Amino acid sequence: MASVTLRGLTVSFDGTGHAALHDLTLEVLDGELLVLLGPSGCGKTTALRCIAGLEHPAAGDVLIDDRVVTRVPPADRNVAMVFQNYALYPHLTVGENIGFALEVRGTSQADIDRRVAGVAARLGIAELLERRPDQLSGGQRQRAALARAMVREPAVFLLDEPLSNLDANLRVELRAELVALHRALGATMVYVTHDQGEAMTMGQRIAVLHEGRLRQVGTPAEVYQRPADVFVARSLGTPAMNILTGRARGTADSAEDRMFEAGSLRIPVALPTYEGEIQIGVRPEHVGVCAVDKGAGNGDILIVELLGNETVVHLNAGGQPLIARLPGLVDVQVGTRVGLKVDRRHLHLFDASGMRIS
Amino acid sequence: MTAALAAIVALAVLAAARWEERRLARAGAVRIARSTAAYFAVVTDLDLTHLFAQARALATLPGWVWPVEIYHGTAPLVDAGGAPLPAAELERIPEWRDGAALVPLRGRSDGAPPILGVVAIRPARPRGVAGLWPGWAIPAALVAVGVAAAAAAGRRSRRDCIVAALLLGLAAYADVRGAARRSTNEWLTATRLLMQEAATRLPGPRIRVTLSDLTPMILGAELVWADSTTQQPRRARVRGTAVAVVAARLGSGRWADLRTSPAEAFTGVWLVGLLGLALLGPLGCAALQWGQRTAPGEVREAATAWAFLAPAGLHLAVFSVAPMLFTLYLAVHGASGGFLDPGRPYVGLSNLQAVVRDPLVWGSLGTTALYALYVPVSTALALAVALVLSRPGRAALVLRAAFVLPVMSSGVAVALAAQSFASLGARDWLGSPRTALLVVMVLSIWTQLGAQMMVFVAGLQRIPDTYLDAARVDGANAWQRFWRVTFPLLKPIRLFVLVTGVIGAVQMFTYVYVLTGGGPLHATDVVMRRVFEIGWDSLEFGRASALSLLVFVLLLGVTAMQFKLLARVGRVEHA
Repeated sequence: MASVTLRGLTVSFDGTGHAALHDLTLEVLDGELLVLLGPSGCGKTTALRCIAGLEHPAAGDVLIDDRVVTRVPPADRNVAMVFQNYALYPHLTVGENIGFALEVRGTSQADIDRRVAGVAARLGIAELLERRPDQLSGGQRQRAALARAMVREPAVFLLDEPLSNLDANLRVELRAELVALHRALGATMVYVTHDQGEAMTMGQRIAVLHEGRLRQVGTPAEVYQRPADVFVARSLGTPAMNILTGRARGTADSAEDRMFEAGSLRIPVALPTYEGEIQIGVRPEHVGVCAVDKGAGNGDILIVELLGNETVVHLNAGGQPLIARLPGLVDVQVGTRVGLKVDRRHLHLFDASGMRIS
Repeated sequence: MTAALAAIVALAVLAAARWEERRLARAGAVRIARSTAAYFAVVTDLDLTHLFAQARALATLPGWVWPVEIYHGTAPLVDAGGAPLPAAELERIPEWRDGAALVPLRGRSDGAPPILGVVAIRPARPRGVAGLWPGWAIPAALVAVGVAAAAAAGRRSRRDCIVAALLLGLAAYADVRGAARRSTNEWLTATRLLMQEAATRLPGPRIRVTLSDLTPMILGAELVWADSTTQQPRRARVRGTAVAVVAARLGSGRWADLRTSPAEAFTGVWLVGLLGLALLGPLGCAALQWGQRTAPGEVREAATAWAFLAPAGLHLAVFSVAPMLFTLYLAVHGASGGFLDPGRPYVGLSNLQAVVRDPLVWGSLGTTALYALYVPVSTALALAVALVLSRPGRAALVLRAAFVLPVMSSGVAVALAAQSFASLGARDWLGSPRTALLVVMVLSIWTQLGAQMMVFVAGLQRIPDTYLDAARVDGANAWQRFWRVTFPLLKPIRLFVLVTGVIGAVQMFTYVYVLTGGGPLHATDVVMRRVFEIGWDSLEFGRASALSLLVFVLLLGVTAMQFKLLARVGRVEHA
């Protein structure tokens, strides 16, 4: 097993002048499952390809177990990669696919057969070894690709959105399997995804990337509860966190508090020194409804989504869009006006540029 | 509506048939006029006295039914009261004028003989009951229109319409064929009369007429001594070829057969054309009915689709299907007299037999097989070049263009360039049987390389990068990535290049034709050149067609074998 360190990694693609990665510094601990989360084009796959050696950084270094491998070819890095479209060689059988890496390294055929059989049995694809990739279902292909990576017993597993081509049910199922596998192997894994659900459920730590820059690294709970900026805050959780833009100004009542005003909302916030434009984040589950004029402000109901265990209400609070997530089935009518309650204990405060005010 | 369409089509069939009948009648009259002019040249000196006497004699000849007028200069001799020819026309005599065929009477002198007079022949009018017979086409047309009208009213099926239309086409063809037959028969009859007359009137001290005396009158037809007795025109087969024959009595007990190719042998295309034209009736009716049943939008769409398909379909029919069918036809017919010789007896498989027994054919097949060995070489080279040049970049683009240049150049020009190269050194590469084929093979490799490379480049760019990425992460080196990933994934492309390459190699003709003409000592005599030689040098088009078909079948077998051997493991899908 091994740790992976990215040190000031910068990648720019020819011609565009646009940098895919900006000065990325990140450490993946030995035996850790780290999730690289971000929207498409954020550079997460580029970072993964740098670790694999398929991409060469313009600046910075890649270290595996404290060994600088920036200029080392992929074959000599002892990493295995699972590609988004699996990249199973279509002209080889599943068994040949899995054994390919061993074969090109000159492993004896008996050894190959034994190890392929072992890993296939572990992943439940032992009976598929004679088939070709186009005769497999999506989930079977996924397992075959995983087996191809596992058979080499690499120091680091690199997984590039391995579940994104599967349907929703299978994705949830394989998600749990992957976590179990990680635990059983104790391997270092870097897992790239744009799916925040996968990131939350699978990652021991999550690294959020946006426009080639690392925004935050932390455990799922840390990232969820203390997002470093507005982007990270909105990346995790569905529906995404409400971000209200307004002003905070002093009040006569208290020297400790400032009154935050956005649209029709007036929310007291514990900010002794702050004055001026501010953004407040509040997750939908921390927004409630009450009788008109009884809360922090009023809002008009635009859309009501009855989900059974909860009700998601989309509101217009004096020009500010706001989503409330209410437990159970709540009887509210579209077009009516309600009062809004905001749980002051769960407010996230960001400055005008979107950075967290701690 | 449908009845009107049927009527229009029937009228078109009638008009086409009438047009051809008239053309045949005119052509017949012209032919008779030319023989008549030759007759006068043979039996008279074309002076006024002789002409006058002979013209009168001809007009009253028993059995001569064609209204004739002979002009001396512009003056009519037979009907002295008739209108003279316009003087201006004497220099440029039209072939047809006022319902008569005009043929000049030329004096006997070298160079450009002066025009002394003109023979004018009108087509004979059918007499008696035969003159009342309107032909088969008109009643058949009436029937066809009637059936179409009944079908429109729902009292007849579409099949009846088709049958009636086919009958109309056959009837119209029968009329055309009858007219063609009549035209040949009339010429035979007229020429027989002229020859018999000439045999008695030849000037000069002659005891017996010789056939060569009469040759000018028969216009290139055949005249042989025979012992026939009937003087009616008839059809016969001579050496497997259909001929029209009439026996002429050229003296007591001296008979000669006048043979010519029957005009009806040329009418085959009219059978196809008239049947096709007649079938337009039911086809149009069906289309009309379909249009009435179907929504206008769909009709428009179908019409548009057919309109777009028509040019390509027509091109395919005229330049691919028709030549193929013609080759099939030629392959089982004796077409030894040249390409357009109408006398093509059915000979079955004897063309094929002749071809198979020809050692030169087998030699050429062997040479072709040897020559085709360049294909794997050029394929391997093309793949190598493609691997080097498939990466993006300006230099690769320029080099790719350089490799494709010979493909875009004319094959003859390329061959001529190669010829000058081959003659540069001390050794005559093309002149030696040991090296000539090698030169052609090298030339082929050079020209084919570019095209095959482009296919490979396209194929390489089609392979997703992730396979190679995966192989790199798996630890494969450059050779392993090529041999274990790229090469197998190129399988369909390789198969395509190889199959098209072998087909092209077997069909190769240009280089050999330009460079060596098949020599020296048949060293470069590939099979297509053999086809060419049998066809265009020996004029054995039947055998040439048979050999073409043989090559086609062999090529089909070779291609099927390649597919079986190389494409065993189905298609490769990028999963």
